[in-house]
Amino acid sequence: MKAIRFLVYSLFIVLLVSCTGKSNEVVVYTSVDQVFSEPVLKDFEKETGITVKAVYDTEETKSTGVLNRLIAEKNNPQCDVFWSGDPVRTIVLKNKGITTPYESPAAKDIPGAYKDPQHQWTGFSARARVLIYNKSLLPDSVPQSIFDLTKEPFKGKVTIANPLFGTTTFHISAIFSALGDEKAKQFLTNLKNNDIIIATSNGDVKKRVASGEVACGLTDTDDANEAMKEGANVGIVFLDQKDSLGTLVMPNTVCLIKGSPNSKNGKKLMDYLLSRSTEAKLATSCAQMPLHKGVKVPAGVPSLDNIIPMHIDYEKTAQKLEEIQGYLKKWVEN
Amino acid sequence: MTKKYRTSFLHFSLPAVVKWAFVFFVFVPLIYTFILTFTGCEKFLSNFDQLDAVTFLLLLKSGSIALAVALLSTLTGTFLGFLLYKMHIKYGSFFKIVLLIPLFLSPYILAVAWKDLFFMLLGETQFITSVSGLVLVLTTIYAPLAVLITGNALMNIDSQIEESALMISRFGRVFTRIILPLIKPALLSSFVLIFIFSISEFSVPAFFGVKVFTTEIFAQFSAFYNHALAVLQSSLLIIICILLLLGEKNYLSEAPFFSIGSKGTKTRTYHNKKYEPLFLSALILWITISVVLPFLVLFVQAFNGGTSQIVKAFELLKPTFATSFWLSLTGTAITLFIGLTAAYSSVRGTGKANLFDLILLIAFATPSIILGISLIKFYNQPFFNFIYSSYAIILIGYTGKYTFISTKLIANAIRQVPLSLDEAAQIAGISKSSRIRKILLPHISPALFGAFIISFIFNLGELGTTIMVYPPGTEIMPIKVYTIMANAPQALTSSMTLIVFSVTLILIGGFYVTGKKLIKIPQE
Amino acid sequence: MIELENISFSYPDKKVLDGFSLSLNQGEISCLLGSSGCGKTTILRLIAGLEVPGKGRVVLNDIVLSEDGKNIVPPHKRNVGFIFQDLALWPHFTVYKNIAFGLEERKVPDTKERVRKMLDHFSIADLAGKYPHQLSGGQKQLVAISRSLVLEPDVLLMDEPLSNLDVTLNRKILQHIKDLKTSFNVTIIYVTHDHREAFAIANNVVVLNNGKIEDSGNVDHIKNSKNNYLKNFLEY
Repeated sequence: MKAIRFLVYSLFIVLLVSCTGKSNEVVVYTSVDQVFSEPVLKDFEKETGITVKAVYDTEETKSTGVLNRLIAEKNNPQCDVFWSGDPVRTIVLKNKGITTPYESPAAKDIPGAYKDPQHQWTGFSARARVLIYNKSLLPDSVPQSIFDLTKEPFKGKVTIANPLFGTTTFHISAIFSALGDEKAKQFLTNLKNNDIIIATSNGDVKKRVASGEVACGLTDTDDANEAMKEGANVGIVFLDQKDSLGTLVMPNTVCLIKGSPNSKNGKKLMDYLLSRSTEAKLATSCAQMPLHKGVKVPAGVPSLDNIIPMHIDYEKTAQKLEEIQGYLKKWVEN
Repeated sequence: MTKKYRTSFLHFSLPAVVKWAFVFFVFVPLIYTFILTFTGCEKFLSNFDQLDAVTFLLLLKSGSIALAVALLSTLTGTFLGFLLYKMHIKYGSFFKIVLLIPLFLSPYILAVAWKDLFFMLLGETQFITSVSGLVLVLTTIYAPLAVLITGNALMNIDSQIEESALMISRFGRVFTRIILPLIKPALLSSFVLIFIFSISEFSVPAFFGVKVFTTEIFAQFSAFYNHALAVLQSSLLIIICILLLLGEKNYLSEAPFFSIGSKGTKTRTYHNKKYEPLFLSALILWITISVVLPFLVLFVQAFNGGTSQIVKAFELLKPTFATSFWLSLTGTAITLFIGLTAAYSSVRGTGKANLFDLILLIAFATPSIILGISLIKFYNQPFFNFIYSSYAIILIGYTGKYTFISTKLIANAIRQVPLSLDEAAQIAGISKSSRIRKILLPHISPALFGAFIISFIFNLGELGTTIMVYPPGTEIMPIKVYTIMANAPQALTSSMTLIVFSVTLILIGGFYVTGKKLIKIPQE
Repeated sequence: MIELENISFSYPDKKVLDGFSLSLNQGEISCLLGSSGCGKTTILRLIAGLEVPGKGRVVLNDIVLSEDGKNIVPPHKRNVGFIFQDLALWPHFTVYKNIAFGLEERKVPDTKERVRKMLDHFSIADLAGKYPHQLSGGQKQLVAISRSLVLEPDVLLMDEPLSNLDVTLNRKILQHIKDLKTSFNVTIIYVTHDHREAFAIANNVVVLNNGKIEDSGNVDHIKNSKNNYLKNFLEY
């Protein structure tokens, strides 16, 4: 009996000892894929000596982990900085009162459209929504506008990730804000009538197009870039460059968590992320477009200088998103 | 008087301590969250309105899928279990191990391999991503569990019971009238367990794009951030699981002969030269379908571009090995300890044990995300920071999820040990603790070892709860695979899968070797 | 006539019989007597068809039952009953069902009556609805015997059926077994390690040692045998 009791006590002690003391550290949660975010955070660690403790999640699985965790931790925040791959999630946090304003000097030159007016969040390196197509399956005519996707030649040949999640939701909301509800709904109905295939994620869209399962699909520039790096026979098109609509541009966003334990270091990390050098790194590693003017990018990485972006208000689009989610759910299910 | 009072006050029994610890660390957070959710706001009532016909139809769909998977897996598992455990089949012991491989891998990875396989072979994936495809894939994943459970039961039938029937009737009838009824508890356990696993499975239907109840709960979480509705929907799942398990328990208690330990002195094995090639082909066919094909896909993908991705995958995973190993090992030790205590008092004790079984069951049946959220809500307070910001929170997650299974395995084993062995020692004046250590434990050591291996595999692969609660900056194997997987080249993903699989296999191999040295099975 | 001709048989780890031959008469109670491991149970299992000889053949009334590794007549078609050491009553069937199962399998029309008769014969009619785990040792014994006899076998094989019973019960059951021969007209082959049991019921005793016959004959012959092994064996 004594031996067993000893075992129980020692277990408790193990539990107690395993907790760690706080030191010079910063805690960051990120929904940016670990392959891309980890090198940047490691560099920050090296350059500042501040230990970075990260919680990773992936967009692939809709970042359920980190976001719900941030919401659940609201009353006793553990996280200092949330680095999101898109503006939607930071805006969700802002609306739930989980963020706190911080105006980073590093973001001075980033255009106002990519920043929250109250500095609750700040955007940097952006991705765009593009069409990825399989060159052997679409040798002749490639869609040039989202409206082409509803046309007969592409019936059953287009795929899109589940619009309930991730950047796809944001894309659809942007279309709603740009076109108005009626036209946008008509567009979605036409897509459905044209037998659009719903994939699980943007990565899945990329994979299906690259393997030749589907001819083309809507995805993000980083996914498309990955497919090209893997040597797949695919091409990309920035849609709606000839009409007024333009291509949706989605910046990464970063925000400071309200009541965070290491907010001083958190601000340092935010400054670092919002810097030109980080934008340059992300341009190299995952073809993200810098929002600072004049950052050098490798050949092949698109630049905001040569594409026409969709003109939207991110905040309003995020609001739209909440409005249309019930509709989207029905759209997916029927 | 005072003295007597004090001793009885200070005297606490170990089982009680263990149980209360579990209740406090795992169950209270769950209850806390449920109460918080249900009493939280007026939104609660509006959520009830959302439990409409559509919800229940979806639940019915999920139930039907789980039913099909549980039936198919149990049927296949019984057939294969019979071939492997009751017949002389060439290389039988090799097949026994190979067959279990799908259990070592995360269902998600197998689902990916399956879909790729269909695309490679047929150029389309319509079938595999349909409901039938989902049933097929889940069946290949869970049938090994049925093989384990039914095979064990088949081995335990006293050979004379079968032989006395063989004197009277042909084998086919003996099988349906004697053998199957005798392993009914195992069939039922296998069915219920696989049903619960299938109905709570999320990653495979999500990947195939089949809408089921779990994906609906997930959507409430990740698209609508409506925790209240998600918790409410989860409760429906939990209730179904509880009803099933209670039904199973009730059935078993009404058939007293099943609970009587009748471990055969030896098991009867069958020879059938005529059909042996057929049986061997059936086995090989199954192993090809459930193991070889998906693995072939993984290998092709991993080595497509040479060995560089394997090396890279290894470098990425290297820092996770030690942490994951120790965490799983500690988690397994805790799970086994609670499991043994709970199983002992449930089989040999009185009354209150049933309530604790129910608590274990609820923790087991709670979806991973909900368990994760509950642990955050409860432990993320300054007072509990030492738990929340340490590995302890992960261990609590493991314990909550898997104690039920090890308890069940151990309880089955304890039931098979004749009570007389314990009573004989009791009469000889041997204390309870040494009776447990020196008489009970040696007899159930094979089952304990089995429970150890299964818990360890589950802990090592646990993702759903861990990803919600892992302390920032820690490196844990399944989390790393999962977070790297997105946007990584296919070759890297497949390489990581193969490495995780090899590591698991090596560890299990190591445990077997150590286990063989440590465990001596008493011969009767 | 039950004949075992030149039989060789081994279990994977052990050779049990090598060129063994034995013939037993119909209508008698024959006892196979020997210490454990002498091969007596194996002989029963060969006659029953639960084992097949690697070499040699088993013949019952001029019909070859098994030969050189082939099971020609399966156990349930040999019209042979077997009473196991552990009795092996089916735990999930009632007493009635245990006895009726074989008849039902053979689709015998008057199953009910025949079971009833059997229950009455051994005065266990009141146990019909009970399960094996609710019976005493002696009751189980009678159920096991009824279960075999109800099928009217030509030969009844008994493998140490008394080993789990107390002495007074033994005597009672032995008497029952002795009566079986006349009331059911059945040939009995009875395996035991206890010579007192053998002497109490046998017409014919075969003494086995290490897979070989040491001596055989009626009880008097065995009692007075000059065989060294036997003299030694009987002393205990």
